[in-house]
Amino acid sequence: MLFILFQLGSDRYALPARDVAEVLPLISVKVLPGAPVGVAGLVDYRGTAVPAIDLTALAFGRPAARRVSTRLLMVKYPHPRGGERLLGVIAEHATELMAKEPADFRPMGITTGATRYLGPIVHDARGMIQRVEVAGLLTGELRAALFTDRESAPPPGPAPTRRQGIAAAGSGA
Amino acid sequence: MSTSPATDCWKRIGIWGDRSCPELPAYIHCRNCPVYSAGAARLLDAEVPESYLIEHARHYARAKPALRPGARSAVIFRLAGEWLALSTAVFREIAPLRPVHSLPHRRDRVVTGVANIRGELLVCVSLAAALGLTDGPAPGAMARLVVISREGDRFVFRTDEIAELCRFDDEDLGPVPATLVHAQATYTRGILTWRERPVGVLDDQLLFYTLNRNLA
Repeated sequence: MLFILFQLGSDRYALPARDVAEVLPLISVKVLPGAPVGVAGLVDYRGTAVPAIDLTALAFGRPAARRVSTRLLMVKYPHPRGGERLLGVIAEHATELMAKEPADFRPMGITTGATRYLGPIVHDARGMIQRVEVAGLLTGELRAALFTDRESAPPPGPAPTRRQGIAAAGSGA
Repeated sequence: MSTSPATDCWKRIGIWGDRSCPELPAYIHCRNCPVYSAGAARLLDAEVPESYLIEHARHYARAKPALRPGARSAVIFRLAGEWLALSTAVFREIAPLRPVHSLPHRRDRVVTGVANIRGELLVCVSLAAALGLTDGPAPGAMARLVVISREGDRFVFRTDEIAELCRFDDEDLGPVPATLVHAQATYTRGILTWRERPVGVLDDQLLFYTLNRNLA
């Protein structure tokens, strides 16, 4: 299984590559005034407005550094009401891939309330790498803030084809 | 975004320098060396200006260009004034011109003789005659011999020029114009537009069938 590595502060984290539709360079973001800490804003992704969070801001309260190595990961976020939503995730030092089996990861043993996205741990030559669970990236409050208007839209039937198209194009890349 | 002269050892004593680095024999190439990797990581750590963010934002706001790699591959060549293409899979070798020895008691327009290709005598054919084209001028400096094979059958023919490889999909092929001479139209699967020129894509299965029949 392939993971995309990135850093929060000086520690390394791994995001399953199959949850990522596309890795973009850092791009300018339309700021959402009054949004909670950690919300970077909206990005125009192939003509669709996609909410983006800044993991560094979420963890440490300071925005991610504007470097070439800071990237915008277009993550396929599983919405609790069903279906997948695209979510932009700004992560520092997203420059490496790692191949590991899920069984290589060992449980961390402790959970802090606000960091439900942190998963089990794997070791390599340079130290520990912690797995990040996409489903836990947003707290209930953040999710409500980022995906409200779409939820209030009536059609709960089959997923709109537009989103499927984006997901299919991303997984093929 | 350039590396400082103190650290770009790969340009001074490494693979792009005088190769005097004591570590080089162990790493074989600078790209295997951690110093070089660290240099790359420093490049990625460069701060980005506002214009970088805006430029990339504009790029990713546009629809994703559809990638069509092209399922088929063909070699484009010139023969008797016509541009033609034949499936890359049947090409075995492109060789400089060499003498073609005619066969005694054989005055055939299609089978012209045998040629020595890497010590083997292979049957030479005139593709122009097989396709019903009138032979063009004498071969120039670009002329080459081509060895093609399919299911064990091998033939050599002369082209006036080999242009290049191209990739295309079946839907890129246009219809064969009615003005083509009958024999050529039979062997043409479709017309490809290459550098604003029409190129006849040949049906290799039919071509080999005909060449084999001429051999009998």
